[in-house]
Amino acid sequence: MFRDLKRIGLEACVLIAFAALFGLSLNYQLVMDAFTGHLVTQVSQAAEESAPTTLPLPALLDEVQQVMASGGVLVDARSPELYAAGHIDGAMSLPMIEIEAVLPYFLEHVSKDQALITYCSGFGCPDSFDLGVRLIEAGYQNVRVFEGGYPEWRDAGLPVAGEGQ
Amino acid sequence: MKRFFYHLGRLVLALVFIYAGAVKMQDVVAFAGHIAAYQILPYALNYLVAATLPYMEFLAGIMLLLNARVRPALLVVGGMTLIFMAALVSVLVRGLEIDCGCFDPGGGQDVTAGIALLRDIGLMILVILVWFLRRGTVPVSDAAVP
Repeated sequence: MFRDLKRIGLEACVLIAFAALFGLSLNYQLVMDAFTGHLVTQVSQAAEESAPTTLPLPALLDEVQQVMASGGVLVDARSPELYAAGHIDGAMSLPMIEIEAVLPYFLEHVSKDQALITYCSGFGCPDSFDLGVRLIEAGYQNVRVFEGGYPEWRDAGLPVAGEGQ
Repeated sequence: MKRFFYHLGRLVLALVFIYAGAVKMQDVVAFAGHIAAYQILPYALNYLVAATLPYMEFLAGIMLLLNARVRPALLVVGGMTLIFMAALVSVLVRGLEIDCGCFDPGGGQDVTAGIALLRDIGLMILVILVWFLRRGTVPVSDAAVP
């Protein structure tokens, strides 16, 4: 009985190891990019179709901190509900889903030469990139995208604000 | 009769896990996003799990479908289901309102954590049933099964 269980456990481990190696071999670059912080945000179809010549470049966590320290503005592209629940401390809310309604207010209060960094929910979330594209179209020259977004910032133990904090 | 239920349970589990693995393999980045929404793992580990877990589900499902190495495959799917259940309980305890991401990482039309937990409990019961039904229907050890 015990020998049987030991054998079954061993075979299960082999099965897991084989599947994991197979998955890693297929997604090696993706995992390496995630661990080295060079992940490129997926561009949504809408943004691809209407992309301007200049696209926002990605910014890493330490670069985001440097830009903020030198007076840059962090812009949250998520919904107002998610922003209210928790956001990067000091970030402005500019929800991509309400962009046409809120952009005029933003244009009025943030000068065009201001350094901006957009973010959303990290992995696979295209809103920060779409917002970056939209802000460049609106005339902002220095716009970058924080790929890791709110999850990476929060997991790094950096200051956050909102109802959930 | 026991034999019938053993094969039925095995095939249901096989199809569920093959499907779950296959849809997640189609969009690993979106699946990583769903894992990130659980707020359990640090940034990069979400990707590591997203890059490996669907292949474990798929391979275990294939083994169940082929009726080969059934108990090791049951151990794998049972272990994964237990981990999913723990993650879902933690989501419910923290009051997070997220899609479980169990079967549809790209579409965003999945089920809530509560329903996913009930579904996982059902799968766990099925895993246990198939494990013990195999003992009754297949007297020889798994090693003898092709």
